[in-house]
Amino acid sequence: MKQDNMTEKNGKNYTDIIAKIADKLGAWLLIIVIALIMTFANDKFMTGSNIVNVLRQICVVSIGAVGVSFVILGGGFDLSTGMIATFAGCISANLAVNYGWNLWLAILVAVLVGMVIGTINGLLITFLKIPPFICTLGMQYVVNGLILVMTKSVPITGLPDAYLYLGRGYIGNWLPVPVVIMLAFILVGHILLRYTVFGRSIIAIGENETASKLSGLNVNLVKVMMYTFSGFCVSCAGIVLTARLSSGQPTSGADLALQAIAAVYIGGTFKGSVINTLAGTLVWGFMNNALNLMNVNAYWQKVALGIVIIAAVLFDTFRAKLATKQSS
Amino acid sequence: MVVTMENILKLTKINKSFPGVKALTDVDLEIRKGEVHALVGENGAGKSTLMKIISGAYHRDSGTIWFDGKEVEVTSPKQSETMGISIIYQELNLIERISVAENVFIGRYPMKCGMVQWKKMQADAQALFDEYELPINARVLVQSLTMAQKQMVEIIKAVSINAKIIIMDEPTSSLSGKETESLFKIIRKLKERNVAVVFITHRLDEIFAVCDRMTVLRDGCYIGCRDIKDITKNEMITMMIGRELTQQYPERDSRIGDVIFEVKNLTDGGRHVKDVSFAVKKGEVLGFYGLVGAGRTETMRMIFGADKIAGGHIYMNGREVKILHPRDAIRQGIGFITENRRDEGLFLLSSVRVNTVMVALKKILRRGFISYKAEREAAEYYVDRLRTVTPTIDQRTMFLSGGNQQKVVLAKWLYSDCEFMIFDEPTRGIDVGARREIYEIINSLVAEGKTVIVVSSDMEEILGISDRILVMHEGRITGEVFKEEFSQSRITKHAVGEEVTG
Repeated sequence: MKQDNMTEKNGKNYTDIIAKIADKLGAWLLIIVIALIMTFANDKFMTGSNIVNVLRQICVVSIGAVGVSFVILGGGFDLSTGMIATFAGCISANLAVNYGWNLWLAILVAVLVGMVIGTINGLLITFLKIPPFICTLGMQYVVNGLILVMTKSVPITGLPDAYLYLGRGYIGNWLPVPVVIMLAFILVGHILLRYTVFGRSIIAIGENETASKLSGLNVNLVKVMMYTFSGFCVSCAGIVLTARLSSGQPTSGADLALQAIAAVYIGGTFKGSVINTLAGTLVWGFMNNALNLMNVNAYWQKVALGIVIIAAVLFDTFRAKLATKQSS
Repeated sequence: MVVTMENILKLTKINKSFPGVKALTDVDLEIRKGEVHALVGENGAGKSTLMKIISGAYHRDSGTIWFDGKEVEVTSPKQSETMGISIIYQELNLIERISVAENVFIGRYPMKCGMVQWKKMQADAQALFDEYELPINARVLVQSLTMAQKQMVEIIKAVSINAKIIIMDEPTSSLSGKETESLFKIIRKLKERNVAVVFITHRLDEIFAVCDRMTVLRDGCYIGCRDIKDITKNEMITMMIGRELTQQYPERDSRIGDVIFEVKNLTDGGRHVKDVSFAVKKGEVLGFYGLVGAGRTETMRMIFGADKIAGGHIYMNGREVKILHPRDAIRQGIGFITENRRDEGLFLLSSVRVNTVMVALKKILRRGFISYKAEREAAEYYVDRLRTVTPTIDQRTMFLSGGNQQKVVLAKWLYSDCEFMIFDEPTRGIDVGARREIYEIINSLVAEGKTVIVVSSDMEEILGISDRILVMHEGRITGEVFKEEFSQSRITKHAVGEEVTG
């Protein structure tokens, strides 16, 4: 289009360049800003141990958020992830501790259960046309109930050391195992989204379901599978969470679903990359860390984090407007 | 048919810029009382910008506006409406779930003691419909009306607020031939009542049928204003595109082979498609004509697997095939260019590149993973081959013009190597210059031995592009016309279901 060429030639002033950089960096810009401010404000911030600490704190949410990214990109929604994570954690703990199962078999079964629950969500949403918000809201309560039935609301303790290694271990004395697991999930998620037909289909369906169907994409299968994948990721997150807490806690994952959704929105995953989801959880982690270091009251921290979510989405809306405004 | 020479609206030297783009340069427009004035120009010529300035949605940078002899400032759509300017957009502005009468009087319900007088409102609305001889019941819900009827409701709404000018943005683009005729009837009635109509259209025949004068815009500039009776079609096209268009429908050397695709007794259970049987030959362009609602699109959607087939058989190369999903059709080498490009054909937020490979994602896989290099090459090849105008292949398709968007849709099917392409209204909303390019692409497809079905409500187009025409009426094929016997009257008769002899 002729008009766009003209825009590019004439409009190269500073605000444009700043807007472009902000657009490219997205949530990473926010991380840089926090890091810069904190480096000067507090000498404990920019230390190796503090950074590793933040990374350890965001592992669980990041692993789950990879799955949630796919669901949200595909035009769906998943509120049940927190409970699925908790359920998977408690199942694995229960099987390993109370029934004496082989640890890896227990974990495998727990993850499979998570995937089955995700698939049920997907089937209900895709074939019975239940709105994803309502369906996963209901599923959240169902799973919550199942957790309480299984555990009688009592934490399951006495996990084997090999299990704890997944959440508390270190490789070479400095690299936390859960961080490695998180990076692996981000990498696999990234490849899946960018370099496979499945990932392409997710983005296409999220944008225009009718056109996707008429382009011959297997819309129903992809929609179900994205919930299955979400179930897989959050179950794994639940395993890591259980390992971190050294016990299967029936109430541990309550906040996870919303944190994962928040990470997707803060990170601006809509630009089509799971790496942005990592940025989203990092913003969350660094904010928390910064407020802690500055001795901000924990209650006020919640207020600040809430504002960050709203501001991030506001920023993204503004950015999207800029991106679609170039032609009029 | 007395046209008073007095102006109702006059714009002089209107300029409007957007950041980096000059949308309008010194544009003049003069609308006389009670005339039908055509505003024409290719897509992107500045028609909608001009309209938005008249309606107050945009503010001009410079220039003056006179309305009814006085210089005016138009600051908001509300104000222009109060002055007497009504605009009927392509996307109609009606509320589906309330009645026709409520829509007509929305925001101006007749009140008495704080209560809405429903009876009076219905009676008043009905009186207006009767006055214009429109067969619409003011009590029914808007959602039960056809597109054409909804448009009439919009017009009556404009009349009811005493509009002195009604601007219609491509009102005929979604109407059948018959519905267009009744729209023209209303326009003539408006004219008798001294209401001016500004008529935006891409169809030149309609300008000759109903308009008194025309103003042409090109690239945001005023090209000229002419009396319709003093201008020929070719002059009109030259004004619009700035060059002589030798022939709108390019010649083709048809080499028609054996039957490649056949449908027998296709039905959707009797709703839109009752009993359709036909065959297409390799290398043929088969036209499907009919009024809107005749069942053409529904037939094509079933063939493509987009809608469920209730009965009938489909044969590809002589073998019966089952098509339950678009994927099955695509596997058989069938491609479908839908009539609703923006909602069903394109991923508007995605780039030209992503759209191009969407059907044939498998072709860009290397060892099971998407190769961005292969994707770029494919997109670049088709931008080149179809001469798609886009700054880069990474441009979002929402920023392309209608004609170029259609080329992206075409690229998607060409890249999937389909052998048999169904075009549903391929040039709707596409300007004259780009139309010819689409026709040329269709020609080059059949020259390569591919087979094409064109569904169109545009009589001239169907006659110009087809080797053979099938006419549908109420879910059945009512006529088959070969190239030697092409005539408008014969096709129209088939389309309205009349018996044709000889």
